[in-house]
Amino acid sequence: MKIFLYPRLALDGIRKNARLYLPYIMTCVGMVVMRYIIDFLSFSESIREIRGGDIIASIMMLGAWVMTAFACLFLFYTNSFLIRRRKKEFGLYNILGMEKKNIARVLFWETAITAAISIGAGLFFGILLSKLAELGLRFVMKSEVSYDFSVPLGSVAKTAAIFLVIYLLIYLNTLRQLSFSQAVDLVKSESYGEKPPKGNAFVGLLGLVMLAAAYAIAVIVENPLSAIPAFFIAVLLVIGGTYLLMIAGSVIFCRMLQKNRRFYYTPKHFVSVSSMVYRMKRNGAGLASICILATMVLVMVSSTTSLYFGVNDTINGRYPREIDCIFDGVSEETMAPGGSALLQGVRDEIAGVLKENSCEAGDIIDYRYAYTAGMLDGDRVNVDPASADPLGMSLSISGLYEFFFVPLEEYNAIMGAREELSDGEALMYLPRAEYPYDTISFEHGREFAVKKIDWFTPPGVSTMSIVPSIFLIVPDVPSAVEGICDIANYYGGQMVDYHWFYAFDTGLDAKMQPDVRRAVNQKLKDLDGISASMVEGREEEKIYAYSINGGLFCLGIILSIVFLFATVLIIYYKQLSEGYEDRARFGIMKKVGMTDREIQRSVNSQLLTVFFLPLIPAGVHMLFAFPMICRLLKLLNYGNALVFAFATALSFLVFSAFYAAVYKITSNAYVKIVSGTEG
Amino acid sequence: MSLLEVTGLKKTYSTRFGAQKVEALKNVCFSVEEGEFIAIMGESGSGKTTLLNILAALDRPTGGTVMLGGRDMSKIKESSLAAFRRDNLGYVFQEFNLLDTFTVEDNIYLPLVLAGKPFKEMQAKLMNVSQRLGISALLKKYPYEISGGQKQRAAVARAMITDPMMILADEPTGALDSRSSDDLLRLFGEVNKSGMTIIMVTHSTKAASVASRVLFIRDGEVYHQLYRGGDSDDGFYQRISDTLTLLATGGEQK
Repeated sequence: MKIFLYPRLALDGIRKNARLYLPYIMTCVGMVVMRYIIDFLSFSESIREIRGGDIIASIMMLGAWVMTAFACLFLFYTNSFLIRRRKKEFGLYNILGMEKKNIARVLFWETAITAAISIGAGLFFGILLSKLAELGLRFVMKSEVSYDFSVPLGSVAKTAAIFLVIYLLIYLNTLRQLSFSQAVDLVKSESYGEKPPKGNAFVGLLGLVMLAAAYAIAVIVENPLSAIPAFFIAVLLVIGGTYLLMIAGSVIFCRMLQKNRRFYYTPKHFVSVSSMVYRMKRNGAGLASICILATMVLVMVSSTTSLYFGVNDTINGRYPREIDCIFDGVSEETMAPGGSALLQGVRDEIAGVLKENSCEAGDIIDYRYAYTAGMLDGDRVNVDPASADPLGMSLSISGLYEFFFVPLEEYNAIMGAREELSDGEALMYLPRAEYPYDTISFEHGREFAVKKIDWFTPPGVSTMSIVPSIFLIVPDVPSAVEGICDIANYYGGQMVDYHWFYAFDTGLDAKMQPDVRRAVNQKLKDLDGISASMVEGREEEKIYAYSINGGLFCLGIILSIVFLFATVLIIYYKQLSEGYEDRARFGIMKKVGMTDREIQRSVNSQLLTVFFLPLIPAGVHMLFAFPMICRLLKLLNYGNALVFAFATALSFLVFSAFYAAVYKITSNAYVKIVSGTEG
Repeated sequence: MSLLEVTGLKKTYSTRFGAQKVEALKNVCFSVEEGEFIAIMGESGSGKTTLLNILAALDRPTGGTVMLGGRDMSKIKESSLAAFRRDNLGYVFQEFNLLDTFTVEDNIYLPLVLAGKPFKEMQAKLMNVSQRLGISALLKKYPYEISGGQKQRAAVARAMITDPMMILADEPTGALDSRSSDDLLRLFGEVNKSGMTIIMVTHSTKAASVASRVLFIRDGEVYHQLYRGGDSDDGFYQRISDTLTLLATGGEQK
């Protein structure tokens, strides 16, 4: 009989506090499910078999650790909330003669039961849903469907072990809290007086300034290269600013509302504003965390979604044709006007290979170019590393540009144009930068009068560079680079390289293209005199791009779901604990003459504010982050701002909808608590 | 016509499944004239708090009528009950029941704000009340910054600011030390002298001795009542004390 006493007490405790325990256990189950699925995806044989599956595995492995750390933190947080709520009950047990030893045993059983339910149910649903997740992943990776079903025991054991350890830690932490407290404290722990908060104007102002600075950075910084460090600074400023502003600013704001007597002394605002002041003080940090989490989720979802759905755009920019060859070490003779004819032999060889594979080159891009890099300052370019960056540390890469000199004859041929240029003139194309001047002059070299053009097909490699590129179309390339072609680079070679870009479509289907690419590659290796540095096939690269971006996309979605649940649960618990505190307060107001309807209205306005307050700054953050993230995505050669805007708006809407649903649930629970109809 | 007329008041509590019924009030009848100061005494469980809750419209009677200012309180709709209480009754609690999120000033304003009064009017009323109760200096403080006696004065101010028909007080001295109790009772006396009707539930003979009439409740009925007549506080105290002794020893005196 006595053996069952503790488990029974524990079970009773859970059942009586269902309002608290149910969401907790559900979260635990959710965490286990997600942890298992991520682990499954990183170890599943059937995923590894897919092309690019090993990339997925390593992305998921990373995700698994993020997930573990987050689960640990979050379960600790929610559990501490539970314990705080139940201290009174334990105090009562203690006073009634139950020793702490015995309470510890009850708690042990409670933790054990929670652990058993959540790990059991979590693994069950995890295994059930893992196939779905795998199919989803295969879908986004554009891989074929597989019908086998596997349960990797390693993942099951690992997930179970991780959560057992977490629960053990939680239990030990609970014991620690219990052993430090006296019975009297335990009974009292909920009710203690609190000073009304005083908003610190300086702190609030500081927060405002930080946010303004961050927003200014996000909007002003145009150069995508300097956007990277600026982005980090802006993120830090936003986080700091949000915290300061939420903690101090909101109290000040409420105080201002209180000063406005005609606004404050009305039934609608009186109660809600005054209790909000308290809310803000205690929850400013919490609200700020929620706001940051929400922003993170939004950024994560919208950018991974954009990247995933932009794979085609990215790949098509990177690989303008189905097969793309770049040749190094082109001779100066070949670079001279008319020198293109010297490459005819190579073209014939490629045509021969294609013929063997019963296809021919179509939509050909064919141009030679000279490549160099230099620091652009105003309209002057310094390509000499010895003077531009004498220490050779490349501390600042902002101002660094890549230059491509392309012969006019090829430009006209590709674009079907009839441009004519005289010596000293150039057409200029800048895909990712602004250039306000009419001339550009190279130190040690020549000056060109430039005329901007709207479009040119860059060699794919340049689109992957984080450094922006400038294309100069000139009548005679060797004479255009005169003076700078002899400058030595860091490694003692020349600062100017000559290349030839030859890319074409084959008209074959996706499965055949890799074979043709390999054949072309083989043939070009055997040629004398000139060698291809790269022969790339768009279809093969697409598969890898889909694995990386698809994997990130999946992980982004999974982690967002986890963060989202965490966010709303934090709010749910916050509101619940406030409900218990507010109950006495609303009781008094009822006695003083507040009607049930007024209580309901006051509760609603409070909850609405607490709930949607973090969403507004999150939305504003997103709005200002938008141009900056656009620029960063441009670095990844993803330039479709419209898709990104759509993804952002959609994630925000989904987030808000989900949020609203939880708001409804919470508000019902809250009203039940304060009106005293529930325990 | 009396300000308050209570006839045949009954309140029965039933246990959850209705199996057992507990009669808190059996048959309570009494009336209160305007300007009276009534103390209601009785042992724990005699039903005095139930009675006060019904008078304050916090609870509904099972039977009988309560007429306040000629209006039958049982006829007031549930939805307008809170507003009725707010506008016509002032309630002073044993535990003060000040809201810790409000300053003393805002606590006192609460019923007026809920009634949607303009700020100018509220301010004028507050000036008046706070001067009479001697709490003008405390208005900007928070409840946790002031003493128990001061809190109870603030609570009395809150009860008075709506100019109610009467003030109901539930053990107002219960949580105060003896000096603060004396102060508060003196205050009640002054307020009463200025014309305010007060009904106070109390355990304390001392508190009851400042009233003009004492009702004794036993087993859910008004068992006995004492008028002050021409007595001094001390003389009245003695008579109340004697009555309580008699009641406790089971003596009959009707």
